[in-house]
Amino acid sequence: MTGNRWAGEAARTAALRVLAERGGLAVTLVFYVLVTVVLASLWRAAVGANGGSVAGYSVVAITWYVAMTEATTVSIRQRLISDVGRDIGSGAIAVELLRPAPVLGVRLAGELGHVLPRLAACVVTGGVLSTMVSGPPPEPAALALALPSLVLAVACNLAAQYAFAGAAFWLRDAGSAWFLYQKLVFILGGMLIPLEALPDWMHRVASVLPFRAMSYSPARLASGHFEPVLLVEQAGWLVLLLAGAAAIFRAGERRLQVVGG
Amino acid sequence: MRGLLATLRNAVAEARANRAALVSQVAIMVVNDIVWVVFWILFFRRVGTVRGWDGERILLLLSVLTCAGGIALGVLANARRVGNMAVDGDLDGVLALPVPPLAHLLVRRMEAVNIGDLVFGIALFASIGSHTVARTAVFAGVVIAVATLLTGFLVLTGSLAFFIGRNEGGELGFHAMVLLGSYPVDVFAGAVKVVLYTVVPAAFVSSVPARLIEDFDVVRALGLAGVAGLFAFAGWATFTLGLRRYTSGSVWTRP
Repeated sequence: MTGNRWAGEAARTAALRVLAERGGLAVTLVFYVLVTVVLASLWRAAVGANGGSVAGYSVVAITWYVAMTEATTVSIRQRLISDVGRDIGSGAIAVELLRPAPVLGVRLAGELGHVLPRLAACVVTGGVLSTMVSGPPPEPAALALALPSLVLAVACNLAAQYAFAGAAFWLRDAGSAWFLYQKLVFILGGMLIPLEALPDWMHRVASVLPFRAMSYSPARLASGHFEPVLLVEQAGWLVLLLAGAAAIFRAGERRLQVVGG
Repeated sequence: MRGLLATLRNAVAEARANRAALVSQVAIMVVNDIVWVVFWILFFRRVGTVRGWDGERILLLLSVLTCAGGIALGVLANARRVGNMAVDGDLDGVLALPVPPLAHLLVRRMEAVNIGDLVFGIALFASIGSHTVARTAVFAGVVIAVATLLTGFLVLTGSLAFFIGRNEGGELGFHAMVLLGSYPVDVFAGAVKVVLYTVVPAAFVSSVPARLIEDFDVVRALGLAGVAGLFAFAGWATFTLGLRRYTSGSVWTRP
Protein backbone atom coordinates (compact mmCIF):
# COMPACT_ATOMS: atom_id res chain seq x y z
CA MET A 1 0.00 0.00 0.00
CA THR A 2 1.47 3.36 -1.01
CA GLY A 3 1.95 6.53 1.02
CA ASN A 4 -0.15 6.61 4.18
CA ARG A 5 -3.19 4.94 2.65
CA TRP A 6 -2.73 2.03 5.06
CA ALA A 7 -3.72 4.33 7.94
CA GLY A 8 -6.98 5.35 6.29
CA GLU A 9 -7.76 1.76 5.35
CA ALA A 10 -7.07 0.46 8.86
CA ALA A 11 -9.29 3.14 10.40
CA ARG A 12 -12.06 2.66 7.84
CA THR A 13 -12.13 -1.12 8.25
CA ALA A 14 -12.27 -0.88 12.04
CA ALA A 15 -15.03 1.75 11.90
CA LEU A 16 -17.11 -0.37 9.51
CA ARG A 17 -16.71 -3.37 11.82
CA VAL A 18 -18.03 -1.36 14.78
CA LEU A 19 -20.98 -0.10 12.76
CA ALA A 20 -21.77 -3.63 11.54
CA GLU A 21 -21.83 -5.02 15.09
CA ARG A 22 -24.87 -3.10 16.22
CA GLY A 23 -25.39 -5.30 19.28
CA GLY A 24 -21.96 -4.34 20.61
CA LEU A 25 -22.61 -0.65 19.95
CA ALA A 26 -25.96 -0.90 21.74
CA VAL A 27 -24.33 -2.52 24.80
CA THR A 28 -21.72 0.27 24.84
CA LEU A 29 -24.45 2.90 24.77
CA VAL A 30 -26.47 1.23 27.53
CA PHE A 31 -23.34 1.08 29.68
CA TYR A 32 -22.54 4.70 28.83
CA VAL A 33 -26.01 5.89 29.85
CA LEU A 34 -25.76 3.89 33.06
CA VAL A 35 -22.41 5.32 34.19
CA THR A 36 -23.34 8.84 33.13
CA VAL A 37 -26.64 8.75 35.02
CA VAL A 38 -24.91 7.39 38.14
CA LEU A 39 -22.02 9.87 38.23
CA ALA A 40 -24.16 12.82 37.15
CA SER A 41 -26.68 11.99 39.90
CA LEU A 42 -23.91 12.02 42.49
CA TRP A 43 -22.52 15.38 41.35
CA ARG A 44 -25.95 16.94 40.91
CA ALA A 45 -26.80 15.95 44.49
CA ALA A 46 -23.48 17.44 45.63
CA VAL A 47 -24.08 20.70 43.76
CA GLY A 48 -27.61 20.85 45.19
CA ALA A 49 -26.24 20.38 48.71
CA ASN A 50 -23.73 23.22 48.17
CA GLY A 51 -26.03 26.06 47.17
CA GLY A 52 -25.98 25.41 43.42
CA SER A 53 -22.25 25.38 42.70
CA VAL A 54 -19.21 23.18 43.39
CA ALA A 55 -15.77 24.42 42.28
CA GLY A 56 -17.51 26.80 39.88
CA TYR A 57 -19.70 24.15 38.25
CA SER A 58 -23.47 24.58 38.25
CA VAL A 59 -25.91 21.67 37.88
CA VAL A 60 -26.05 22.18 34.08
CA ALA A 61 -22.27 22.52 33.77
CA ILE A 62 -21.50 19.45 35.87
CA THR A 63 -24.01 17.33 33.93
CA TRP A 64 -22.37 18.24 30.60
CA TYR A 65 -18.94 17.74 32.18
CA VAL A 66 -19.77 14.20 33.30
CA ALA A 67 -21.43 13.32 29.96
CA MET A 68 -18.24 14.23 28.08
CA THR A 69 -15.72 12.61 30.45
CA GLU A 70 -17.67 9.38 30.32
CA ALA A 71 -17.87 9.53 26.51
CA THR A 72 -14.08 9.73 26.22
CA THR A 73 -13.64 6.83 28.62
CA VAL A 74 -16.41 4.41 27.60
CA SER A 75 -15.66 4.66 23.87
CA ILE A 76 -12.13 3.23 24.36
CA ARG A 77 -11.58 -0.49 24.94
CA GLN A 78 -11.06 -0.92 28.67
CA ARG A 79 -8.30 -3.52 28.55
CA LEU A 80 -6.40 -2.19 25.56
CA ILE A 81 -3.07 -2.11 27.42
CA SER A 82 -3.53 -5.68 28.55
CA ASP A 83 -4.54 -6.88 25.05
CA VAL A 84 -1.61 -5.16 23.33
CA GLY A 85 0.76 -6.44 26.03
CA ARG A 86 -0.47 -9.98 25.46
CA ASP A 87 0.10 -9.69 21.70
CA ILE A 88 3.64 -8.47 22.35
CA GLY A 89 4.40 -10.98 25.10
CA SER A 90 3.12 -13.96 23.11
CA GLY A 91 4.97 -12.84 19.97
CA ALA A 92 1.72 -12.62 17.99
CA ILE A 93 2.69 -9.09 16.98
CA ALA A 94 5.63 -10.50 14.96
CA VAL A 95 3.29 -11.28 12.05
CA GLU A 96 2.43 -7.59 11.80
CA LEU A 97 6.12 -6.74 11.38
CA LEU A 98 5.98 -8.41 7.99
CA ARG A 99 3.66 -5.71 6.65
CA PRO A 100 5.17 -2.82 4.68
CA ALA A 101 3.72 -0.38 7.22
CA PRO A 102 4.65 0.52 10.82
CA VAL A 103 2.99 -1.74 13.43
CA LEU A 104 2.21 1.13 15.80
CA GLY A 105 0.78 3.32 13.03
CA VAL A 106 -1.55 0.63 11.69
CA ARG A 107 -2.69 -0.35 15.17
CA LEU A 108 -3.31 3.24 16.28
CA ALA A 109 -5.23 4.02 13.09
CA GLY A 110 -7.31 0.88 13.59
CA GLU A 111 -8.02 1.76 17.23
CA LEU A 112 -9.02 5.30 16.27
CA GLY A 113 -11.37 3.87 13.65
CA HIS A 114 -12.81 1.60 16.32
CA VAL A 115 -13.26 4.43 18.82
CA LEU A 116 -14.65 7.25 16.67
CA PRO A 117 -18.10 5.74 15.87
CA ARG A 118 -18.50 4.75 19.52
CA LEU A 119 -17.41 8.22 20.63
CA ALA A 120 -19.86 9.88 18.23
CA ALA A 121 -22.72 7.69 19.48
CA CYS A 122 -21.85 8.41 23.12
CA VAL A 123 -21.50 12.16 22.57
CA VAL A 124 -24.87 12.42 20.79
CA THR A 125 -26.55 10.30 23.47
CA GLY A 126 -24.83 12.30 26.22
CA GLY A 127 -25.89 15.58 24.65
CA VAL A 128 -29.51 14.50 24.47
CA LEU A 129 -29.41 13.12 28.02
CA SER A 130 -27.80 16.27 29.46
CA THR A 131 -30.27 18.54 27.68
CA MET A 132 -33.20 16.47 28.93
CA VAL A 133 -32.15 16.27 32.59
CA SER A 134 -30.50 19.67 33.10
CA GLY A 135 -30.73 21.94 30.07
CA PRO A 136 -28.95 22.96 26.86
CA PRO A 137 -25.15 23.41 26.79
CA PRO A 138 -24.13 26.44 28.85
CA GLU A 139 -22.01 27.97 26.06
CA PRO A 140 -22.56 26.77 22.45
CA ALA A 141 -19.24 28.27 21.22
CA ALA A 142 -17.33 26.31 23.86
CA LEU A 143 -19.27 23.17 22.94
CA ALA A 144 -18.13 23.61 19.32
CA LEU A 145 -14.53 23.58 20.57
CA ALA A 146 -15.29 20.46 22.61
CA LEU A 147 -15.88 18.40 19.45
CA PRO A 148 -12.29 18.47 18.11
CA SER A 149 -11.14 18.29 21.72
CA LEU A 150 -12.98 14.97 22.15
CA VAL A 151 -11.11 13.49 19.17
CA LEU A 152 -7.78 14.79 20.50
CA ALA A 153 -8.64 13.33 23.92
CA VAL A 154 -9.16 9.78 22.65
CA ALA A 155 -6.10 10.09 20.37
CA CYS A 156 -3.94 11.14 23.35
CA ASN A 157 -5.38 8.28 25.41
CA LEU A 158 -4.68 5.68 22.71
CA ALA A 159 -1.12 6.91 22.17
CA ALA A 160 -0.44 6.82 25.92
CA GLN A 161 -1.91 3.33 26.25
CA TYR A 162 0.36 2.04 23.49
CA ALA A 163 3.33 3.69 25.17
CA PHE A 164 2.40 1.91 28.46
CA ALA A 165 1.75 -1.40 26.68
CA GLY A 166 5.13 -1.15 24.93
CA ALA A 167 6.72 -2.08 28.27
CA ALA A 168 5.70 -5.66 27.42
CA PHE A 169 8.61 -5.78 24.90
CA TRP A 170 10.85 -5.93 27.99
CA LEU A 171 8.55 -7.37 30.66
CA ARG A 172 6.77 -9.86 28.36
CA ASP A 173 3.42 -8.87 29.84
CA ALA A 174 1.51 -5.67 30.56
CA GLY A 175 -0.65 -7.69 32.99
CA SER A 176 -2.99 -5.57 35.02
CA ALA A 177 -1.24 -2.28 34.24
CA TRP A 178 -4.47 -1.12 32.57
CA PHE A 179 -6.11 -1.17 35.96
CA LEU A 180 -3.68 1.36 37.36
CA TYR A 181 -3.48 3.45 34.20
CA GLN A 182 -7.26 3.75 34.19
CA LYS A 183 -7.24 5.07 37.74
CA LEU A 184 -4.76 7.80 36.80
CA VAL A 185 -7.22 9.01 34.16
CA PHE A 186 -10.07 8.70 36.69
CA ILE A 187 -8.51 11.06 39.25
CA LEU A 188 -5.67 13.06 37.63
CA GLY A 189 -7.46 13.10 34.26
CA GLY A 190 -10.56 14.62 35.84
CA MET A 191 -12.90 11.83 34.81
CA LEU A 192 -14.49 11.29 38.21
CA ILE A 193 -13.87 14.71 39.67
CA PRO A 194 -13.29 18.10 37.99
CA LEU A 195 -9.67 19.15 38.51
CA GLU A 196 -10.83 22.41 40.13
CA ALA A 197 -12.38 20.31 42.91
CA LEU A 198 -9.04 18.69 43.79
CA PRO A 199 -6.83 20.05 46.57
CA ASP A 200 -4.43 22.71 45.24
CA TRP A 201 -1.31 20.53 45.32
CA MET A 202 -3.06 17.73 43.47
CA HIS A 203 -4.47 20.16 40.93
CA ARG A 204 -0.94 21.43 40.28
CA VAL A 205 0.35 17.87 39.80
CA ALA A 206 -2.53 17.04 37.41
CA SER A 207 -1.79 20.22 35.41
CA VAL A 208 1.65 18.99 34.35
CA LEU A 209 0.59 15.43 33.48
CA PRO A 210 -0.93 14.28 30.17
CA PHE A 211 -4.00 12.61 31.71
CA ARG A 212 -6.01 15.85 31.79
CA ALA A 213 -5.77 16.00 27.98
CA MET A 214 -7.61 12.65 27.83
CA SER A 215 -10.76 13.55 29.70
CA TYR A 216 -10.80 16.92 31.46
CA SER A 217 -10.16 19.17 28.45
CA PRO A 218 -13.26 18.35 26.32
CA ALA A 219 -15.41 18.17 29.44
CA ARG A 220 -14.22 21.57 30.64
CA LEU A 221 -15.07 23.05 27.22
CA ALA A 222 -18.49 21.37 27.01
CA SER A 223 -19.35 22.60 30.49
CA GLY A 224 -19.32 26.16 29.18
CA HIS A 225 -15.72 27.32 29.63
CA PHE A 226 -14.44 28.91 26.42
CA GLU A 227 -10.72 28.09 26.77
CA PRO A 228 -9.16 27.41 23.32
CA VAL A 229 -5.75 26.98 24.95
CA LEU A 230 -6.91 23.54 26.06
CA LEU A 231 -6.89 22.42 22.41
CA VAL A 232 -3.32 23.67 21.94
CA GLU A 233 -2.28 21.84 25.08
CA GLN A 234 -3.93 18.62 23.86
CA ALA A 235 -2.21 18.88 20.47
CA GLY A 236 1.13 19.31 22.24
CA TRP A 237 0.55 16.24 24.41
CA LEU A 238 -0.54 14.22 21.39
CA VAL A 239 2.74 14.96 19.58
CA LEU A 240 4.76 14.04 22.68
CA LEU A 241 2.80 10.86 23.40
CA LEU A 242 2.97 9.70 19.78
CA ALA A 243 6.72 10.34 19.72
CA GLY A 244 7.13 8.44 22.99
CA ALA A 245 5.06 5.46 21.83
CA ALA A 246 6.94 5.36 18.49
CA ALA A 247 10.32 5.41 20.26
CA ILE A 248 9.27 2.61 22.61
CA PHE A 249 7.93 0.46 19.75
CA ARG A 250 11.04 1.08 17.62
CA ALA A 251 13.30 -0.02 20.46
CA GLY A 252 11.01 -2.91 21.38
CA GLU A 253 10.69 -4.27 17.86
CA ARG A 254 14.48 -4.47 17.61
CA ARG A 255 14.69 -6.77 20.64
CA LEU A 256 11.58 -8.87 19.96
CA GLN A 257 12.38 -12.57 19.87
CA VAL A 258 9.80 -15.06 18.76
CA VAL A 259 10.08 -18.81 19.16
CA GLY A 260 10.42 -20.38 15.74
CA GLY A 261 12.74 -17.79 14.20
CA MET B 1 -20.61 -32.13 50.95
CA ARG B 2 -17.23 -33.89 51.21
CA GLY B 3 -16.89 -33.63 47.44
CA LEU B 4 -17.52 -29.89 47.54
CA LEU B 5 -15.02 -29.36 50.34
CA ALA B 6 -12.40 -31.30 48.39
CA THR B 7 -13.11 -29.17 45.32
CA LEU B 8 -12.79 -25.99 47.37
CA ARG B 9 -9.46 -27.23 48.82
CA ASN B 10 -8.22 -27.84 45.27
CA ALA B 11 -9.29 -24.35 44.20
CA VAL B 12 -7.39 -22.84 47.14
CA ALA B 13 -4.31 -24.92 46.34
CA GLU B 14 -4.48 -23.87 42.69
CA ALA B 15 -4.70 -20.18 43.61
CA ARG B 16 -1.74 -20.56 46.00
CA ALA B 17 0.37 -22.54 43.56
CA ASN B 18 1.80 -19.42 41.94
CA ARG B 19 2.38 -17.35 45.03
CA ALA B 20 4.12 -14.47 43.26
CA ALA B 21 1.19 -14.02 40.86
CA LEU B 22 -1.29 -14.25 43.75
CA VAL B 23 0.51 -11.57 45.77
CA SER B 24 0.94 -9.21 42.80
CA GLN B 25 -2.71 -9.53 41.75
CA VAL B 26 -3.96 -9.01 45.28
CA ALA B 27 -1.69 -5.95 45.56
CA ILE B 28 -3.01 -4.49 42.28
CA MET B 29 -6.60 -4.81 43.44
CA VAL B 30 -5.77 -3.25 46.79
CA VAL B 31 -4.16 -0.28 45.00
CA ASN B 32 -7.24 -0.02 42.78
CA ASP B 33 -9.53 0.05 45.82
CA ILE B 34 -7.32 2.62 47.54
CA VAL B 35 -7.85 4.93 44.54
CA TRP B 36 -11.60 4.74 45.18
CA VAL B 37 -11.02 5.61 48.83
CA VAL B 38 -8.97 8.61 47.68
CA PHE B 39 -11.78 9.67 45.35
CA TRP B 40 -14.41 9.52 48.09
CA ILE B 41 -12.20 11.37 50.57
CA LEU B 42 -11.55 14.13 47.99
CA PHE B 43 -15.23 14.24 47.07
CA PHE B 44 -16.59 14.59 50.60
CA ARG B 45 -13.84 17.01 51.67
CA ARG B 46 -15.00 19.25 48.86
CA VAL B 47 -18.78 18.90 49.10
CA GLY B 48 -19.37 18.08 52.79
CA THR B 49 -22.40 15.91 53.54
CA VAL B 50 -24.67 14.82 50.68
CA ARG B 51 -28.15 13.56 51.57
CA GLY B 52 -26.99 12.11 54.87
CA TRP B 53 -23.81 10.55 53.50
CA ASP B 54 -20.33 11.56 54.60
CA GLY B 55 -16.82 10.22 54.19
CA GLU B 56 -16.94 7.66 57.01
CA ARG B 57 -20.28 6.26 55.99
CA ILE B 58 -19.22 5.84 52.37
CA LEU B 59 -16.08 4.00 53.47
CA LEU B 60 -18.31 1.63 55.44
CA LEU B 61 -20.31 1.06 52.24
CA LEU B 62 -17.07 0.41 50.35
CA SER B 63 -15.84 -2.07 52.95
CA VAL B 64 -19.05 -4.13 52.74
CA LEU B 65 -19.08 -4.01 48.93
CA THR B 66 -15.43 -5.03 48.53
CA CYS B 67 -15.68 -7.83 51.11
CA ALA B 68 -18.83 -9.28 49.57
CA GLY B 69 -17.45 -8.75 46.06
CA GLY B 70 -14.26 -10.54 47.13
CA ILE B 71 -16.31 -13.58 48.16
CA ALA B 72 -18.68 -13.61 45.15
CA LEU B 73 -16.08 -12.77 42.50
CA GLY B 74 -12.93 -14.11 44.16
CA VAL B 75 -13.84 -17.21 46.18
CA LEU B 76 -16.85 -18.21 44.05
CA ALA B 77 -15.25 -16.90 40.85
CA ASN B 78 -17.34 -18.97 38.44
CA ALA B 79 -20.48 -17.09 39.52
CA ARG B 80 -19.55 -14.45 36.96
CA ARG B 81 -18.74 -17.02 34.26
CA VAL B 82 -21.96 -19.05 34.30
CA GLY B 83 -23.29 -17.32 31.18
CA ASN B 84 -20.11 -17.82 29.16
CA MET B 85 -19.89 -21.45 30.26
CA ALA B 86 -23.49 -22.07 29.23
CA VAL B 87 -22.95 -20.50 25.79
CA ASP B 88 -19.54 -22.12 25.17
CA GLY B 89 -20.66 -25.57 26.29
CA ASP B 90 -18.20 -25.74 29.18
CA LEU B 91 -20.52 -27.54 31.60
CA ASP B 92 -20.11 -31.10 30.23
CA GLY B 93 -17.49 -32.04 32.82
CA VAL B 94 -19.47 -30.97 35.86
CA LEU B 95 -22.67 -32.71 34.72
CA ALA B 96 -20.91 -36.08 34.77
CA LEU B 97 -19.90 -35.72 38.45
CA PRO B 98 -21.96 -37.01 41.43
CA VAL B 99 -22.22 -33.52 42.99
CA PRO B 100 -24.76 -30.70 42.81
CA PRO B 101 -23.68 -28.95 39.56
CA LEU B 102 -24.13 -25.31 40.62
CA ALA B 103 -22.45 -25.71 44.01
CA HIS B 104 -19.53 -27.58 42.44
CA LEU B 105 -19.19 -24.97 39.73
CA LEU B 106 -19.12 -22.10 42.22
CA VAL B 107 -16.35 -23.52 44.42
CA ARG B 108 -14.25 -24.92 41.58
CA ARG B 109 -12.22 -21.81 40.76
CA MET B 110 -10.84 -18.79 42.63
CA GLU B 111 -9.88 -15.44 41.12
CA ALA B 112 -6.77 -14.13 42.82
CA VAL B 113 -7.29 -10.51 41.82
CA ASN B 114 -10.67 -10.36 43.56
CA ILE B 115 -9.28 -11.92 46.72
CA GLY B 116 -7.57 -8.53 46.95
CA ASP B 117 -11.02 -6.98 47.37
CA LEU B 118 -11.71 -9.24 50.34
CA VAL B 119 -8.37 -8.40 51.98
CA PHE B 120 -8.91 -4.68 51.34
CA GLY B 121 -12.50 -4.71 52.61
CA ILE B 122 -11.54 -6.30 55.93
CA ALA B 123 -8.62 -3.88 56.36
CA LEU B 124 -10.82 -0.90 55.52
CA PHE B 125 -13.51 -1.92 57.99
CA ALA B 126 -10.88 -2.42 60.70
CA SER B 127 -9.51 1.07 60.05
CA ILE B 128 -12.72 3.10 60.23
CA GLY B 129 -14.66 4.07 63.35
CA SER B 130 -14.60 2.31 66.69
CA HIS B 131 -15.62 -1.33 66.72
CA THR B 132 -17.46 -3.39 69.26
CA VAL B 133 -18.04 -7.15 69.11
CA ALA B 134 -21.67 -6.55 68.14
CA ARG B 135 -20.76 -4.14 65.31
CA THR B 136 -18.17 -6.58 63.96
CA ALA B 137 -20.72 -9.42 64.12
CA VAL B 138 -23.25 -7.30 62.20
CA PHE B 139 -20.55 -6.52 59.62
CA ALA B 140 -19.77 -10.24 59.18
CA GLY B 141 -23.47 -11.06 58.92
CA VAL B 142 -24.28 -8.43 56.30
CA VAL B 143 -21.19 -9.35 54.26
CA ILE B 144 -22.39 -12.98 54.11
CA ALA B 145 -25.91 -11.85 53.16
CA VAL B 146 -24.61 -9.47 50.47
CA ALA B 147 -22.22 -12.10 49.07
CA THR B 148 -25.17 -14.52 48.85
CA LEU B 149 -27.29 -11.88 47.10
CA LEU B 150 -24.51 -10.96 44.70
CA THR B 151 -23.75 -14.58 43.83
CA GLY B 152 -27.45 -15.33 43.30
CA PHE B 153 -27.83 -12.26 41.08
CA LEU B 154 -24.78 -13.16 38.98
CA VAL B 155 -25.94 -16.77 38.56
CA LEU B 156 -29.45 -15.56 37.71
CA THR B 157 -28.36 -13.07 35.02
CA GLY B 158 -25.70 -15.46 33.70
CA SER B 159 -28.19 -18.34 33.47
CA LEU B 160 -30.38 -16.27 31.16
CA ALA B 161 -27.80 -17.23 28.53
CA PHE B 162 -29.26 -20.78 28.57
CA PHE B 163 -32.48 -19.31 27.18
CA ILE B 164 -31.30 -16.52 24.90
CA GLY B 165 -28.03 -18.06 23.69
CA ARG B 166 -25.90 -14.97 24.43
CA ASN B 167 -24.30 -13.59 27.58
CA GLU B 168 -24.49 -9.83 27.08
CA GLY B 169 -27.27 -9.68 29.69
CA GLY B 170 -25.08 -11.34 32.29
CA GLU B 171 -22.16 -9.00 31.66
CA LEU B 172 -24.39 -5.95 31.72
CA GLY B 173 -26.05 -7.17 34.93
CA PHE B 174 -22.65 -7.60 36.56
CA HIS B 175 -21.43 -4.14 35.56
CA ALA B 176 -24.72 -2.50 36.55
CA MET B 177 -24.68 -4.15 39.96
CA VAL B 178 -21.07 -3.25 40.76
CA LEU B 179 -21.41 0.29 39.42
CA LEU B 180 -24.72 1.13 41.07
CA GLY B 181 -23.71 -0.59 44.30
CA SER B 182 -20.64 1.64 44.57
CA TYR B 183 -22.70 4.78 45.16
CA PRO B 184 -25.11 5.71 47.98
CA VAL B 185 -28.67 4.94 46.95
CA ASP B 186 -29.89 8.28 48.29
CA VAL B 187 -28.26 10.27 45.48
CA PHE B 188 -30.74 8.70 43.06
CA ALA B 189 -34.38 9.60 42.73
CA GLY B 190 -37.60 8.43 41.09
CA ALA B 191 -37.57 5.41 38.79
CA VAL B 192 -33.82 4.83 39.19
CA LYS B 193 -34.28 4.38 42.94
CA VAL B 194 -37.10 1.88 42.37
CA VAL B 195 -34.82 -0.11 40.03
CA LEU B 196 -32.10 -0.19 42.70
CA TYR B 197 -34.44 -1.90 45.14
CA THR B 198 -35.90 -4.36 42.61
CA VAL B 199 -34.50 -5.33 39.18
CA VAL B 200 -30.86 -4.50 39.99
CA PRO B 201 -30.92 -4.75 43.80
CA ALA B 202 -27.79 -2.64 44.25
CA ALA B 203 -29.29 -0.83 47.25
CA PHE B 204 -29.23 -4.12 49.19
CA VAL B 205 -25.59 -4.67 48.24
CA SER B 206 -24.18 -1.51 49.77
CA SER B 207 -26.41 1.24 51.16
CA VAL B 208 -28.78 -0.96 53.21
CA PRO B 209 -25.94 -3.01 54.79
CA ALA B 210 -23.92 0.14 55.57
CA ARG B 211 -26.95 1.59 57.35
CA LEU B 212 -27.45 -1.66 59.27
CA ILE B 213 -23.89 -1.59 60.61
CA GLU B 214 -24.32 1.99 61.78
CA ASP B 215 -27.80 1.56 63.18
CA PHE B 216 -28.92 -2.08 63.49
CA ASP B 217 -32.60 -2.76 63.00
CA VAL B 218 -34.09 -6.28 63.11
CA VAL B 219 -36.76 -5.62 60.48
CA ARG B 220 -34.25 -4.22 57.99
CA ALA B 221 -31.85 -7.08 58.73
CA LEU B 222 -34.60 -9.61 58.05
CA GLY B 223 -35.46 -7.72 54.87
CA LEU B 224 -31.84 -7.98 53.68
CA ALA B 225 -31.69 -11.69 54.54
CA GLY B 226 -34.99 -12.26 52.73
CA VAL B 227 -33.83 -10.50 49.56
CA ALA B 228 -30.53 -12.41 49.66
CA GLY B 229 -32.43 -15.72 50.02
CA LEU B 230 -34.80 -14.74 47.22
CA PHE B 231 -32.00 -14.00 44.75
CA ALA B 232 -30.08 -17.13 45.80
CA PHE B 233 -33.17 -19.22 45.10
CA ALA B 234 -33.91 -17.39 41.82
CA GLY B 235 -30.32 -17.96 40.68
CA TRP B 236 -30.43 -21.67 41.54
CA ALA B 237 -33.87 -22.15 39.93
CA THR B 238 -32.92 -20.35 36.70
CA PHE B 239 -29.67 -22.32 36.46
CA THR B 240 -31.46 -25.64 37.10
CA LEU B 241 -34.17 -24.88 34.53
CA GLY B 242 -31.52 -23.66 32.10
CA LEU B 243 -29.60 -26.93 32.35
CA ARG B 244 -32.55 -28.65 30.66
CA ARG B 245 -31.83 -26.55 27.57
CA TYR B 246 -28.06 -27.03 27.72
CA THR B 247 -26.72 -28.73 24.60
CA SER B 248 -23.11 -29.64 25.45
CA GLY B 249 -19.84 -28.31 24.05
CA SER B 250 -19.41 -31.17 21.62
CA VAL B 251 -19.24 -29.94 18.04
CA TRP B 252 -21.36 -32.96 16.98
CA THR B 253 -24.38 -31.71 18.90
CA ARG B 254 -24.24 -28.18 17.46
CA PRO B 255 -26.74 -27.25 14.77
